[in-house]
Amino acid sequence: MIPVILLTGFLGSGKTTLLARLIREPEFARTAVIINEFGEVGLDHELVGRSDESFVELTTGCLCCKVRSDLVETIVEMLARRDAGVVMVFERIVIETSGLADPAPILHALMTAPGLSGRIRLADIVTTIDAATGVVTLALEAVSMKQVAVADRVLLTKTDLTAGVPVVLSQQLDALNATAPREIVIDGRWPGAATLGGMRDGEEVVHLAERLDLAAAARAHDADDRHHLDGITSFVIRRSAPLAAVALTLFLEALAEQCGSDLLRLKGLVAVAEHPEQPAVVHGVQHVFHPLTWFERWPSRDHDTRIVCIARGVSRGFVEALLSAIEAEVAEVQGMPD
Amino acid sequence: MQALLVRLLAESVRQWRVPARVAIDTDGAVRVIGLGREIVVTRAGDDLPFRWFVKVTTPGQAAAQRPALSVVSVLRQVRLQLDPAYEKQRIRVAPPPVLPPLADPSGVS
Repeated sequence: MIPVILLTGFLGSGKTTLLARLIREPEFARTAVIINEFGEVGLDHELVGRSDESFVELTTGCLCCKVRSDLVETIVEMLARRDAGVVMVFERIVIETSGLADPAPILHALMTAPGLSGRIRLADIVTTIDAATGVVTLALEAVSMKQVAVADRVLLTKTDLTAGVPVVLSQQLDALNATAPREIVIDGRWPGAATLGGMRDGEEVVHLAERLDLAAAARAHDADDRHHLDGITSFVIRRSAPLAAVALTLFLEALAEQCGSDLLRLKGLVAVAEHPEQPAVVHGVQHVFHPLTWFERWPSRDHDTRIVCIARGVSRGFVEALLSAIEAEVAEVQGMPD
Repeated sequence: MQALLVRLLAESVRQWRVPARVAIDTDGAVRVIGLGREIVVTRAGDDLPFRWFVKVTTPGQAAAQRPALSVVSVLRQVRLQLDPAYEKQRIRVAPPPVLPPLADPSGVS
């Protein structure tokens, strides 16, 4: 499946500069690009400096509201042209959102469009943050917080203007998404670009769970989580005993039902009792979930179930209690001891 | 099981920011009191096709009792009583591919 990379970040945070440099790198030569610009006349394609047929600009509105169907149709059409040999055989797709876009509906569109099923996989969500203005933006703009909260990677731009990353900004990023690795990008130069879209789902979850464990350990001295911005927090739910398949299903349904759009992202590597030798990968954005996929084998010696939640106003205590109650009830119904 | 249900409901009312109290009676009934209502959750008998009863008493109205298939159903019923803004979301699962993947000329899989 073709990896799709979502490049998001608030207005002026350096997305287009990054993209322009990225697609000039030899390893990104076979990349299709979709740019969404909010406004009547798009300029980003000029700034990026490409205009071949694997480059599409959507300017009719913001991706997260008006042009979601346009996005899906565009990708379907690009894939058809690629299959027919009309455009280059691109190996990845990069979508640059407008700076005002809420990434969640875009992720929904990518995950649920029947025409894209089996053809693309959401590989990476990259969020740019302007080190010079990020503190204020994150304090004032809810959409900016969401862009950070769902990120797989956070790229800090313009650190040359601030002589490093401001401490307050680091604290804000810790609060919103302690797990996403942060890297510094100056003038669009990103040393880690080669790894973009390279990780498979399961590996990504393992890395994420490890980072969450580290973040939790680092915060162990601070029991008060209430300072999190806009109530967004991230935590990992661990289980050493495999989960019954029906318990996993009920848990995901109940989470979606109870938390809805407050469940910003959920990723997990799950030991399913009926098939524990292969971990199942769960992946959801708000109430929309990918179908379960299965890893061939556990990627490390850690065979615990690890479910990572990034959510707004949803407490770890609630999620833990929900899963425990469902596990106990399923065990009781199946005649097993708790 | 009831202890886990008490914990779940206590965490839930905190999350919904509803001023309510959750307690367990000596007979195992779980009681949630808030917003002028009393909700009592009891186990259904083993001979019944559901697992719980949820009984809601509102001042000036006759008590209403409904069965619940699972703790998830109990949670839903309690929330409907205590959280007027609640709109449940149904899980949506992205469609799996209905055809095997095409052979890819780039070798991307």
